[in-house]
Amino acid sequence: MNEVIKITDVSKIYNPEAIPVKAVDGVTLTVEAGEFTALVGPSGSGKTTLLNLIGGLDHPTSGTVEIAGTNITTMRENALIDFRLRHIGFVFQAYNLVPVLSAQENVELVMLLQGKSAKERSDRAKELLASVGLPDKLDKRPSELSGGQQQRVAVARALASKPGFILADEPTANLDSVSTSNLLDIMTRLNKENNMTFIFSTHDQRVIDKARRVIKLVDGKIESDSRQ
Amino acid sequence: MIFKVAWRNIWRNPARSLVVIASVAAGLYAGMLLIAIFNGFVVQEIDSAVHTQLAHIQIHAPAFSEDKDIKIVLPNGTELEEKLKNIPGITGVSGRIITTGMISSATAAAGMEIHGIDARDEQRVSKVSEMMLQGSYFKTPRPNSVVLGSTLAEKLGVKMNSKIVLTFQSATGDLTAGSFRISGIFKTTNSMFDQSTVFVQKADLATITGTLNNLHEIAILCADIKQVDATTSDLKKQYPALKVESWKEISPEMAMVTSIFDQMMYIIIGIILLALMFGIINTMLMAVLERQREFGILMAIGMNKPRIFMMILWETVILTMAGIPVGIGATLASLAYLSKAGLDLTQFSKSLSQYGIGNIIYPVLQPAVFLPITIFTAITAILSALYPAWKALRFKPAVAIHKI
Repeated sequence: MNEVIKITDVSKIYNPEAIPVKAVDGVTLTVEAGEFTALVGPSGSGKTTLLNLIGGLDHPTSGTVEIAGTNITTMRENALIDFRLRHIGFVFQAYNLVPVLSAQENVELVMLLQGKSAKERSDRAKELLASVGLPDKLDKRPSELSGGQQQRVAVARALASKPGFILADEPTANLDSVSTSNLLDIMTRLNKENNMTFIFSTHDQRVIDKARRVIKLVDGKIESDSRQ
Repeated sequence: MIFKVAWRNIWRNPARSLVVIASVAAGLYAGMLLIAIFNGFVVQEIDSAVHTQLAHIQIHAPAFSEDKDIKIVLPNGTELEEKLKNIPGITGVSGRIITTGMISSATAAAGMEIHGIDARDEQRVSKVSEMMLQGSYFKTPRPNSVVLGSTLAEKLGVKMNSKIVLTFQSATGDLTAGSFRISGIFKTTNSMFDQSTVFVQKADLATITGTLNNLHEIAILCADIKQVDATTSDLKKQYPALKVESWKEISPEMAMVTSIFDQMMYIIIGIILLALMFGIINTMLMAVLERQREFGILMAIGMNKPRIFMMILWETVILTMAGIPVGIGATLASLAYLSKAGLDLTQFSKSLSQYGIGNIIYPVLQPAVFLPITIFTAITAILSALYPAWKALRFKPAVAIHKI
């Protein structure tokens, strides 16, 4: 089996010296390549915190996070930024595209940071935007796209760096049902056809229904971990 | 693309960007205009001193300057005067007989320096002849005519054609006096000079004092003030037995004023640039804090800190580069107007005249000043970007992403 993510006894405590809040409490978890995993649980259960720890956006208070065999827990800030650039794709709830760049430029930005050539960037950005159903929106800025279209650009951007897996934090929370359905189709297709690993937090039952593994968090602990 | 992002970011909030551009332009404009005005003050003060009393260079017998003794004359003064007239780069040479004495009218008297001059030669080194309020500067030479300043005329209660008596020491050491008639009244920009100096014709003074064919002072005007130091140095080598002094040596307080003006100018420019710095810091900090989430996203997807730093720096540099030509343009436009119309400071005329400066200041800006001021402004703007950029680098992506 090919472990993409290995989390061992990870805890995250906010305000440890004042009023400690245990957002993630001793979580141990492995995710293998090609999994399509949903993190579910009530608000405040620690879903986003766990995603941040997996994505190297935050440091755990204790425990270790290994990505593709590399322990990122002890990495310094700059090394983490570089690691994220090469191994992890992000999709956020509020799309979070760079507002002053077009759809194509948003997708290209990640490849530019990776030092890819202009031609390679342009070709791959066009290919990715076509794969998420936006071949005719290359020059559109985020403000000219609908929420669903922006989230598809965000997925294309997440894929641009050829990451080991994609983390999506409530990716459908701001979308209507048609856009949600379109996005899910794209994510499941990428998962099946390219064996892309997805881990997403969600409250949306339609998304949960599509997941092949569902991990339920309650009070920062894994309450259940089921495959369907 | 980092540059492209920076460029486009600028136009996300045009009003704010225009505020930064306007701040840079205003800072540059204020700085350069102040330099031009100060420079105008200094140039006019030097010009006034040089063209009324000092000339560019003066030559005396070494002991004369100490007590202005009428007996201490320049050896072969008239021959020297003629020789100097033939030196290239020297445009005016005026041999003067100088003595101190008393001027008396029917009602008042005052201590005074009396200059015996040849009007034609003197007009080549002095502009007093162009500052006549009444009468003329020995245009129709009558024996024993005197030209004096308006403030002195008022003090003595005399008018054109009034008679006055000049009392002074003769070449033999005796006290002697002569009766003169006022043929001209002048008013320079230097009230002290106007009160303390009278002009008579050299021949008249020579006759009364008995200093025929002798001179106490030779005043020299060079074609260009920049040549003064070199010419002074040459003359010093050529005439080691004489006291050859440039205007800076004769009037060190004038050179000091120039230096004080320079220092004041730098202090004021420093204050302007400091104000500009805080203005830019404030605006750029606002721009950075507003885009906290965006910086969080960029860091999350892999934009490293040097690139984020460069992006903010680029934004400031672009805004500064837009502000600099605006500031220079506004300065040039103002100078084009003020160099002709002048800056009217009539309300301060009394104090200005004590420093030998006229009521109208004509700002002057050397082209060489543009480059350093522009560089200082650009450096200030870049330094101002450092704190906002540093602030952006301190954002934690996990926190910044969730900022609204």
